[in-house]
Amino acid sequence: MYGTGLRPLSIATVVLIAAALSLTFFYAPLDADQGFVQKIFYLHVPLAIVALLGFVAGGAFAIAHLRSGDRRWDAWSYVAIHMSVIFGVAVLLTGAIWAKASWGHWWVWDEPTLVSFLIVFLLYATYYPFRYAIEDPERQARYASVFAIAAGAFVPLNFMAVRMAESLVHPRTFATAEGGLPGSMMFTFLVSLAAMALLWVTLVKLELTAKSASGQLKRLRRALDAPAPGGGSRVAPEVS
Amino acid sequence: MDFLPLAAPALPLDEAGKYVAGAYLVFMVLLVVYVAIMAAKLQRIERELRELATFAEARNAAEQVAPGRGEQVAASSASRPGAARGGGA
Repeated sequence: MYGTGLRPLSIATVVLIAAALSLTFFYAPLDADQGFVQKIFYLHVPLAIVALLGFVAGGAFAIAHLRSGDRRWDAWSYVAIHMSVIFGVAVLLTGAIWAKASWGHWWVWDEPTLVSFLIVFLLYATYYPFRYAIEDPERQARYASVFAIAAGAFVPLNFMAVRMAESLVHPRTFATAEGGLPGSMMFTFLVSLAAMALLWVTLVKLELTAKSASGQLKRLRRALDAPAPGGGSRVAPEVS
Repeated sequence: MDFLPLAAPALPLDEAGKYVAGAYLVFMVLLVVYVAIMAAKLQRIERELRELATFAEARNAAEQVAPGRGEQVAASSASRPGAARGGGA
């Protein structure tokens, strides 16, 4: 059921990523200040935006789970957070490479944007031990949803706090007094953002499809009167 | 709008090029590792599904040969292939 439309979605994702890469390297002009290194921007920033929105989406799915009691929403919430954590790893690594190229340091502790993202990432890194410390699947899903809602609310608050903080190090690319990105760069950025968003959706669907197949397998095993080895849901929520 | 290849070399192999290549490579490696993990997971599911199908077919065949013996086959399901293996998602 979750696999419906996965193939066209995957093809669209590949096409859009190829378009984004082509635009990045063959269309977008070189940045006057940073030069070629600025090309990392078209990867790093969309990844960060999608990861943060994914965390918020995880919270929204968790709200739907608590309201309806439907475990499928819990699976959506889990997978959204899981995927955003993976995207978060990519954000931190590409950000460190960009920082080294631009500032000469892999990490700068007095830069609010970097530190705040690290805090959000570490917060969500605790989601897994928190979730799997609870044995009972029902309680596990309920407590994980509460965590996802609280952490999801923290993300926009954190973002606003960072925007209000003064910084001379991290460039403010959008909505600056100087006018922000020129048209060709903005277009490339938007295509990259759409590509990363589509990649996130595709991988979430892929993960849900795998979990659904695994859940169906467990149901089939139960129907055949065969005990599920290592049963329960210690590794991931079961999706039927 | 300027078309970059006309204005500047597409991929200058200077110091900046290494960092840009590194960043995009890190992303691609992460993506490939994730897809590989998912592929392994799906392979395991497919294998377990095949084993269960074989088990179900054997049980049905046993029931057809001698009605009532199916329960015995079900009771001895712990000895079927893959029963001792972990089945978590």
